[in-house]
Amino acid sequence: MRVIVSLWVRNLKTFARNRVQLIFTLIAPFFFMYIFSSIFSLQSDNPMSYMLAGIIIVNAFGTALALSSSTITDIVSGFMKEVLVSPVKRSHIAVGQLLAAATIAVAQSVPVMILGWFLGLRYTNVFTPLFALVAIIAIGFVFGGLGLFLASVVKNAQTYQVVGMVVQMPMMFLCGAYVPLAILPAALQKIAYFNPLTYTIAFFRAVILEKMGLPKGEMVAEGIAFEIGGFTITPLISMFIVIAFGALFLTLSAIVFTRVDFSRINRTKLNDADIFS
Amino acid sequence: MKNAIEVKNFTKQYGQFTAVKNISFNVAEGSIFAFLGPNGAGKSTTINTLVTIFDKTSGTLLIDGKDTTTQKDAVRAAIGVVFQDSTLDTKMTVDENLKMHCCFYAVPKNEVAERIDFALGIVDLQKWRNAIVSSLSGGMKRRVEIARGLLHKPKVLFLDEPTTGLDPQTRAHIWDYIVKLQRDENMTIFLTTHYMDEAEISHMAAIIDNGEIVAMDTPFNLKKKYTKDKAYINTSNSTELECFLQKHNFVYKNKGTHYSIEVDNISTLLDLLSDQKRFIGELEVKKGTLNDVFIAITGKDIRQADMGNKEDKV
Repeated sequence: MRVIVSLWVRNLKTFARNRVQLIFTLIAPFFFMYIFSSIFSLQSDNPMSYMLAGIIIVNAFGTALALSSSTITDIVSGFMKEVLVSPVKRSHIAVGQLLAAATIAVAQSVPVMILGWFLGLRYTNVFTPLFALVAIIAIGFVFGGLGLFLASVVKNAQTYQVVGMVVQMPMMFLCGAYVPLAILPAALQKIAYFNPLTYTIAFFRAVILEKMGLPKGEMVAEGIAFEIGGFTITPLISMFIVIAFGALFLTLSAIVFTRVDFSRINRTKLNDADIFS
Repeated sequence: MKNAIEVKNFTKQYGQFTAVKNISFNVAEGSIFAFLGPNGAGKSTTINTLVTIFDKTSGTLLIDGKDTTTQKDAVRAAIGVVFQDSTLDTKMTVDENLKMHCCFYAVPKNEVAERIDFALGIVDLQKWRNAIVSSLSGGMKRRVEIARGLLHKPKVLFLDEPTTGLDPQTRAHIWDYIVKLQRDENMTIFLTTHYMDEAEISHMAAIIDNGEIVAMDTPFNLKKKYTKDKAYINTSNSTELECFLQKHNFVYKNKGTHYSIEVDNISTLLDLLSDQKRFIGELEVKKGTLNDVFIAITGKDIRQADMGNKEDKV
């Protein structure tokens, strides 16, 4: 427990000490909010509250993925070697990483939710914001798991950037956060149904807009439920789909992260030494 | 005396390539053991297997009586490791690095501050406690790593090339700390180094080449066995000097008036020479070094051996 907490704090400190990263992470949601609300104000009557949920989730997703790349930094810098010869369990390292991802996802989302209130987003139930926070924490874990899995597989900073981009971009744009799924071509819609982010956003939108209790037809019209082959996926089912994806990512990352041989990693530093000596 | 490290018939293969071939050695508790050899000789492979990063192919490796394969956690708790490359968390302060280490090794919370004081005291870095690691010089970083390796009071401290890339002054300091540690804390120290002269401080030295231990003894005995002392004389009277050398059966070589003489014990030569001062212009005496031992055994200079084999494992 002491190790997990220390690593969690350490990861947060590392994150906070990189001022540029910190500032950009915190302002990124507002930047997206401004751009997309300007674009979509032409289409929808209440773009802001519709956009807000998507922006929170997409940012939490991006941050969780980006934070996992710090695992790669630890491998390359050699710090991981210090951990490996110590009696610490590898799973503790992974949990410390996931906790940090979840914490930063929350830190990023709270200002957006507060701003949302000023922009007219109202909660009738006091538990809605609390429930939303719990959901964000869980989402941090789910996508932190995905990031950790990718990081343990890739093990190289340059490659991770490319892989991260290829994974992140389609997931971000084919999930209904910015572009409603209903206006996508049928083929892309089908792809979106395989995207865990699609269900995350549908569920989170229903939570934050307090639309969990709407009739099915209205939910589909609002874009928070989908008809797939005559079967309606309600936000509640979406939640379970997200949990299933989360379990999958965490299991995968646990398997890969605890087995990968970090000592055999080609460290850039060594290659430089070869070139210059 | 008890052995802190016991290695029996250790072999390590990478596919078809055998990096370490059936080596055995023991390290007595409280001693300094130097493991010498060029890169690619199997030094790093051995050290990495001892510290539980690699798995052996066959043989037995025990540290403090615990098996490095089946009792990894017990071994990890008993050892401190300073690697060739820095393994510090560079964005954190010295203090944060050391605290994290205490946490990894479950050092009791009420002892953490005291132990950090102690370890930083040994390497003279108390003033830099709150500095971010990336702002420190190479030598200071190495000292932080040594301090960190001591925090959990390991039974055995592994130092893999602790002075590579450091300036001579810092190197000398680091060896001072190491000797101090062994003496004051009775810690067992296992070290590898490129600089043969630095291995002089060890109680026992093993020379490894092509995966095999080719010699193992105290540095004194190694030098006695494999090297001869040398005297260089510049003479004003070649005939008389040669006559003298031949009379006493000394082996010598000469280039004009410069003579180099190999002797088992330099003092015999000096005693005899003291009566012959009149034909000695200049006299230089050179004791055998561990580097000479290395050349005598492997037939190559350790630096040349490195040139030929750049491959560096881990």
